[in-house]
Amino acid sequence: MVQLNLPANSKVEKGQYYKDKTGSKNIRKINIYRWDPSKNENPRLDTYEVDMDNCSSKVLDVLNKIKNEIDPSIAYRRSCAHGVCGSCAMNMNGKNGLACTKSHSELDGDIDIYPLPHLKVLKDLIGDLSTLYKQYESVEPWLKTSKVNDKENIQSKDDRAKLDGLYECIMCACCSTSCPSYWWNGEKYLGPAVLLQAYRWIIDSRDEDRKERLKKVADELKLYRCHTILNCTNACPKGLNPAKAIAEIKKMLATA
Amino acid sequence: MENKNPISPHIQIYNWHISSLVSISHRITGIINFFTITFIGIWIASLLLGEQSYQNINLFLSSFLGKFFCLGIIWSFSFQMLSEIRHLFMDLGYGFEQKTTKITGLIVLIGSFPLTVIIFIIGRVLI
Repeated sequence: MVQLNLPANSKVEKGQYYKDKTGSKNIRKINIYRWDPSKNENPRLDTYEVDMDNCSSKVLDVLNKIKNEIDPSIAYRRSCAHGVCGSCAMNMNGKNGLACTKSHSELDGDIDIYPLPHLKVLKDLIGDLSTLYKQYESVEPWLKTSKVNDKENIQSKDDRAKLDGLYECIMCACCSTSCPSYWWNGEKYLGPAVLLQAYRWIIDSRDEDRKERLKKVADELKLYRCHTILNCTNACPKGLNPAKAIAEIKKMLATA
Repeated sequence: MENKNPISPHIQIYNWHISSLVSISHRITGIINFFTITFIGIWIASLLLGEQSYQNINLFLSSFLGKFFCLGIIWSFSFQMLSEIRHLFMDLGYGFEQKTTKITGLIVLIGSFPLTVIIFIIGRVLI
């Protein structure tokens, strides 16, 4: 159901202000969404003054600096710091992306950092992605083949090339949580990330389950809630094109 | 526990870009067109009631408000038409590259205005 307003317990309130203590002249204000599950309070937006002269280039570096030097209570996911694991996906200045690959110099003005949009917040910048993972499981993201020989399962160069732009997906959920259709119908609509994965197996020449896969995904809600708003393609930090993958599935269904 | 967790902000914080603007405008103009077509249909049907109905329509259309109304619905149709053409190409799997979507989106957004003027002038000349 389309609900434009946030429920009462989700309204973001003004938070604390952490003034700079280093005396630096190169100060930048970082606004961060905070919510503590142990307290019975609404989420708030805390502001941190950060000394940018002694800070590395990425938004994740800023977060680490705040956590190490200003406020250790702040919670966010991070792991590889090289845009491979997809842990530090968050919303920075109104656009989803990976904090570890986003340079803060690319962002204008104060930096606003929110969790990925329209998720149940677990703490601070950590959103609950379990629905998305369940949906991912539902497309059975593994190779289905009757071949059981111990030799290589050979693929032509052309067939292999079809997987380019798909296999690179790291499931960071930047695309799905940028999609208004997924916001309003997240329980039923699979969303760009999962549909791109579904297409990755549909188009794989080694997979023998293509028909079944297509049949499973051909659903008014699961697939056709995509209205090519293209927020997904715009958000993908790996430069992939989920909207095109979804269009290809629709095309295969229309021409099958 | 279930309901205690807040929902993270979504439409309140997410940036608009050309494609999302075209998409929402496509919906809005679609709804406007649905109602205008129904309205025009009923209006035309009212001609069956005789000359007075014709005079009423004529009076409204030649007034300032009537012309504004005409331009408004012509724009709404122009926008819908251009956006629909964009969608047709997308349905064929073309025009999904970031740059292309930006350009075609701009063509739809900006192009709908000259198209409105052209259709309006053609209408004036023909009628």
